[in-house]
Amino acid sequence: MIRVTKSRLDPAALDRAVSSPKHGAVASFVGTVRSPHAGRVVTAVSYDCFTPLAEKELSRIAAAAERRWPVRVAVEHRIGRLRVGEASVAVAAGSGHRAEAFEACRFVIEEIKRRVPVWKKEHYAGGDGRWLAGCALHRSRR
Amino acid sequence: MKRKIELYGRLRDAGLGSAVEVVLPKNATAGRALTVLKSSFGRKAALLTGCVIATGDDVLSSSDALPGGRLAVLPPVCGG
Repeated sequence: MIRVTKSRLDPAALDRAVSSPKHGAVASFVGTVRSPHAGRVVTAVSYDCFTPLAEKELSRIAAAAERRWPVRVAVEHRIGRLRVGEASVAVAAGSGHRAEAFEACRFVIEEIKRRVPVWKKEHYAGGDGRWLAGCALHRSRR
Repeated sequence: MKRKIELYGRLRDAGLGSAVEVVLPKNATAGRALTVLKSSFGRKAALLTGCVIATGDDVLSSSDALPGGRLAVLPPVCGG
């Protein structure tokens, strides 16, 4: 289960997708919209995305995690306008043991922040907004 | 030849809409496309700092020739 979606995320569904009788561990991460941020009261965040490349990068990141650790990975990223407290990204990693599940889950969310083409614009109580700074992309040779 | 290049993130606030059409020489590279885009952005060309050209499959390096299909110019990312 790997996708970009406009729908509300269901982290429990991701946990189920990576569960197996052989798995003794499922590690999950859920990123949510926060307020305040950098001293401003945030009312919502709009997520923009170049979807075809984003879904390919999510698949590549999950595959890299599954090559590196004995895990099964599921990940979803939400786009559109989200209110404070709503989930924007969810990752689940299921494995035989907790160590590789934790490590794979951490790896996936860090790679998402570094290389998946998603951008967020915070909307503030005063009615203004700001695109947040991020990581420059680079050609990756595969 | 004319190519449509999609805009994302902060570039959507440049007042150019969700895409721009640029005229590029045949076999133009991604670097050339960025140079031409700076002209389209005019006084807002600084918004292109740190941006790259990408297809729906990959980010292009500046020396890569532009392939057919969708093209986008992507600012630094901040998902999650």
